[in-house]
Amino acid sequence: MPQRRIAIYGKGGIGKSSTASNVAAACADEGYKVMIIGCDPKSDSSITLLGGRRIPTILDLLRQKVDIDEQAIVHEGYKGVKCVEVGGPEPGIGCAGRGIIVAIQKLRQMCKTIDDMDLIIYDVPGDIVCGGFVAPIRKGLVSEAYILTSGEYMPLYAANNICRGLVKIDTQLSGIICNSRIVTREEEIVRKFSEEIGSKLMAFIPKEQIVQDCERDGFSVVEKAADSSVADIYRELAIAIMSNEDSVMPSALKDERLRELTR
Amino acid sequence: MMISKGIKGITMTENDISIIHPRPSSIVAALYTLRDLNVDVAILHGPPGCSFKHARLLEEDGIHVVTTALDENGFVFGGRDELSSLLQKANEMFKPKLVGVVGTCASMIIGEELHEPVMDANLEVPVIEVEVHAGYPNNTKGVLMALESACEVGVIDEQELRRQRSLLEEATNVEMSHGAASREYLAPSRGDVKYKVAEKVYNLLKEGKSCLTIMNAKKETGYMFADITIAINEVAAELGMQGNVINMANIDACVGLPRVRQHATNISNDIRKKNVTIHEIIGGMDEYPIAGDKVTKLIDEKYKEFDFAVISGVPHAIPMDHLGNMQVISVTNGPRQVLPLKEMGHEHVIVEIDLHPKTLGVDSIVESEFGATLREVAKDMMKNKRKVV
Repeated sequence: MPQRRIAIYGKGGIGKSSTASNVAAACADEGYKVMIIGCDPKSDSSITLLGGRRIPTILDLLRQKVDIDEQAIVHEGYKGVKCVEVGGPEPGIGCAGRGIIVAIQKLRQMCKTIDDMDLIIYDVPGDIVCGGFVAPIRKGLVSEAYILTSGEYMPLYAANNICRGLVKIDTQLSGIICNSRIVTREEEIVRKFSEEIGSKLMAFIPKEQIVQDCERDGFSVVEKAADSSVADIYRELAIAIMSNEDSVMPSALKDERLRELTR
Repeated sequence: MMISKGIKGITMTENDISIIHPRPSSIVAALYTLRDLNVDVAILHGPPGCSFKHARLLEEDGIHVVTTALDENGFVFGGRDELSSLLQKANEMFKPKLVGVVGTCASMIIGEELHEPVMDANLEVPVIEVEVHAGYPNNTKGVLMALESACEVGVIDEQELRRQRSLLEEATNVEMSHGAASREYLAPSRGDVKYKVAEKVYNLLKEGKSCLTIMNAKKETGYMFADITIAINEVAAELGMQGNVINMANIDACVGLPRVRQHATNISNDIRKKNVTIHEIIGGMDEYPIAGDKVTKLIDEKYKEFDFAVISGVPHAIPMDHLGNMQVISVTNGPRQVLPLKEMGHEHVIVEIDLHPKTLGVDSIVESEFGATLREVAKDMMKNKRKVV
């Protein structure tokens, strides 16, 4: 089985880290070897796989000017999921984009186990504000992109823009994931959007309090509430991702069409 | 080196000094390496002023250096199109057989990729991409990155890459132990007065003292350092003392990149034309970091009893192990090298100011200041002697 290297894009705050860690946990349950690489300076992608524990980030260690090896930056979480956090400078200081470039280089240099993984998830920041933020893709590390959105206008607007960006950086879209915000006709809107850009809707994740409750305790819902219906949905999504063969170059919608769709 | 185990898997090094004098640039090092690889054009992807002085010097040395001249807009919007169109323009203007593209601090910080524009330009000749900036403490990093990329596109083979890699490691070690990377701050110095030292060398030769000349030069700098070996031999010959001089030089023409081998051939030929014999070849012209061991061994075996040594090029790469009993005079082109050499125990240290620019774009030996001074001193001394008689 070829290694899958995916990135999940989407508007900030839409639930990328939640989705990434639940997919990671679900894939680990299925017996896959999974690594999650948090590329957000906030460095909270893997926190729910580690029982709420924060791990030292690559950039934290680089800042201390210590020699780094794999043990120092790769930490095992739920069911052996390998967790890595890139980290970043303090907000407003230095250059977070360069930080990602440097950290990714360090990771590739230091991490031998990366080649053994079945699935690597890059949890990237919502806004690709500069060159550094596309480093995982540019450096040939990501082979498939997913976009997370709700049925609201602004997240869809962001998703549509991301489609344009993907074309620009020559990266295929493998599917849309809907993280519900309880909007009228939400699933229908997002499905329609997915189809019109040439892709497909991978999953509709309902908004449920239990996801929040588990996260507050420092766990993924797949781990803490394995029997819940939303955990089932994450598991289905995980399986769909691991068997997905339908990557396309998306064609972004015109703004008028997008507005029409959400009305 | 103090090593303490901190967090699991992390090794803390505590002896790292923070060097505050400016250091050689990795970008420039990459440019010089591209020249040694015989690229016809090197493209700097960055601001127009980056590496200006060296870019000019390299043009003297026969390669074209051009820049994408990124401005404030380039920093903000990136320069992918600028780079690919410059690649095409340079291809039309210079009809190169081999091209190099070099990053700069500005382009690397904003996350510019060199590969995509190179693909966009779609040239029919190989392009060596070096994603380098000047933020590396050792400039050998720039050399290494250029060589690795050259190996990827098949310009050099794995074996040569391995060889170069170990040489570069040694070069870095030499700089850290006795070179300009050996302490926090080194003030540049002009070294000892050449006239005084020339007088001393003349007198030592005249007294019949045995002399070892050791040229351990870095690549093209040998075009000038070799002149010192020649000058000493000329003066010794005029004094009838040529038999007292043994010459060592790192001019093996069978190792290194093609351009570096050519330097060795040119210098050997010129030395031969001057009727000077190099008794011991101590390596190739890129082997200056490792020639020290060979020199030490040779001295131990054959030349222990010599009275004085004149070491030129990278003198700090020659260990003092067996030189202790000799008077050592060294000639460097690094003004920050004077103090470390004196501390090694060299009695006199001479600086050939601005040597490097004078050795670019030449294919035969050029006169050194010390060589010229020694020749003049000898002329005067001999004239005076005749007057006395």
